[in-house]
Amino acid sequence: MITPLPIDVPEAPAPAAPGRTARGYWQEASERLRRNRIGVASGLVLLFFVLVAITSPLLAALFTQADPRHIDLLNTFLPPLSPHHILGTDDLGRDELTRMLYGAQVSMGIGFLSVGVALTVGAAVGLVAGYYGGLIDGLLMRFVDMILAVPAIFLFILMSILFKPNTITLALIIASVGWGSIARLVRGEVLSVRTREFMVATRSLGASDAGLILRHLLPNVLHVLIVFGSLYLGQVVLIEAALDFLGLGISPATPSWGNMLTNSETFFFHSSWLVIWPGVTIFVTVLAANLFGNAIRDAFDPRLR
Amino acid sequence: MSSPLLEVRDLRTQFTTREGVVKAVDGVSFELHAGETLGIVGESGCGKSVTALSIMRLVPRPGRIVGGQVLFEGRDLAKLSDAQMQEVRGESIAMIFQDPMTSLNPVFRVGWQVSEPLLLHRALPQAKALGEATTMLGRVGIPSPEARARDYPHHFSGGMRQRAMIAMGLTTTPPVLIADEPTTALDVTIQAQILDLLRNANREFGTATILITHNLGVVAGMCERVMVMYAGRIVESGPTVDVFAHPKHPYTWSLLRSIPRLDAERHEPLKPIEGMPPDLSALPAGCAFHPRCPFKIERCSRDVPALNRVGESQLAACWVTQSGVELKDA
Repeated sequence: MITPLPIDVPEAPAPAAPGRTARGYWQEASERLRRNRIGVASGLVLLFFVLVAITSPLLAALFTQADPRHIDLLNTFLPPLSPHHILGTDDLGRDELTRMLYGAQVSMGIGFLSVGVALTVGAAVGLVAGYYGGLIDGLLMRFVDMILAVPAIFLFILMSILFKPNTITLALIIASVGWGSIARLVRGEVLSVRTREFMVATRSLGASDAGLILRHLLPNVLHVLIVFGSLYLGQVVLIEAALDFLGLGISPATPSWGNMLTNSETFFFHSSWLVIWPGVTIFVTVLAANLFGNAIRDAFDPRLR
Repeated sequence: MSSPLLEVRDLRTQFTTREGVVKAVDGVSFELHAGETLGIVGESGCGKSVTALSIMRLVPRPGRIVGGQVLFEGRDLAKLSDAQMQEVRGESIAMIFQDPMTSLNPVFRVGWQVSEPLLLHRALPQAKALGEATTMLGRVGIPSPEARARDYPHHFSGGMRQRAMIAMGLTTTPPVLIADEPTTALDVTIQAQILDLLRNANREFGTATILITHNLGVVAGMCERVMVMYAGRIVESGPTVDVFAHPKHPYTWSLLRSIPRLDAERHEPLKPIEGMPPDLSALPAGCAFHPRCPFKIERCSRDVPALNRVGESQLAACWVTQSGVELKDA
């Protein structure tokens, strides 16, 4: 059925290599990521903590056979490698390993939930502000400026007092500040993408505003979201631990790495492992998240190529 | 004569800037008939592209259509709702842009993008739309279209991207195609191929084409009728043959003398048009061309000439030729 238009098409140059597959931005970026050894290693560390968080009840049942809240006042401050308590016990005789496993749920849960919410809200605000410009842009961005102008810790403290923190509210509290920076970044990227001719060209094909924003702008700013999201994960874990430490986070009955640290500060010289386990774990998680974020940025940010 | 497919009546588009109101398009009227190729020529900044964008209602801010009608098959596009206008764009009128390097979205495969008008207007299933897009890529002369449809824009050369843009415009076989300087960013050999392609599309699909260019040679080879624009207005229009053989506006006349000719005497110097196009926010009184015009008479700096019939089938907005004077070398 194909009737070629009668045009002299000069002989096409032979394809560079037979069987050459078209590789897009995403394939090239993920390949660059795979070649980055530190990036892969830190990604695996994060993956490990995620898996621990997901399977913590199962792991606890398999390895410690203990309840994280089970108080055993006859066995307080047992050192690591004690029988049945590989990482020792705390001041109330609770099994430290079990509490660490369950603590991963809080840190990872809040981390990913908070990143997810902040990215979604930030991207939506940034896309709308950047695409429509004018008054909408002005209002939205001044609101962002306002949020970012107040020191974040005060907002966290204020909201932790207003809302009783549990895993979900704490994630939302942290995200309620984080979306501002994302909105700014996305808006900036949209402003530069918006002026490119394909935006007008796509409108000339009959695309609607929503179609343009979701199908054409969003994929063009996705790299910003991926990079910022992975760097932000480390920050969230740290913020969450800090809020727990200040007593503004998760209530001490639910084990989290942050409140385990608070709880044990008074015993530092007496039973240092109670500080070391959560402290080192938070450190490793945040370091892994930052290194992974850097690797992602190296792989995905088109300006670094 | 049948009624025109597209009729523009007294179109006015203005940009309100801090320096004043820029009348980018100032009372432009013309008709486009089915299957016809109409050329719009003029210097940079004379309102060619804004005319095209006004027809599509894609004038960027702070530009605004302040008056006139754009009748497509009798419907005034200027009065349609945004949603109705989205139906017209790409389905009834498609547009090809100047810079093929940035006209394709870099993150999508070419085949998908070419199929987008079909997805938007025909609600075809993705696979079927992609199939049609691939067929169209083949028809615009992309070799091995099945493989190329899976490429990303940065795998394409400038000429191939412009072919892809044309394929995108033609997938829905719109009755009107507006090509805004489609060859300006391409090198000369590719230019010829792209123009061939547009000519064949016009012949095969019966697509009426508005070709915007500043290249008079392109107009001579492509267009049955030509419109010359200066400072946001049409200064001369008519069949290409007549306009080129007997220009009736001094601007057209000067433009034609400023391009090299194969049959010119050797060493004959080109004659540029003296001066610069006027500032559109501060047009001179009377005819906008009079400060640069070698034929100007006293009236030219006083009254704005209307676009009136001069000679057989040409219209020109010039007091000099309307009074019957021939344009000749001094």
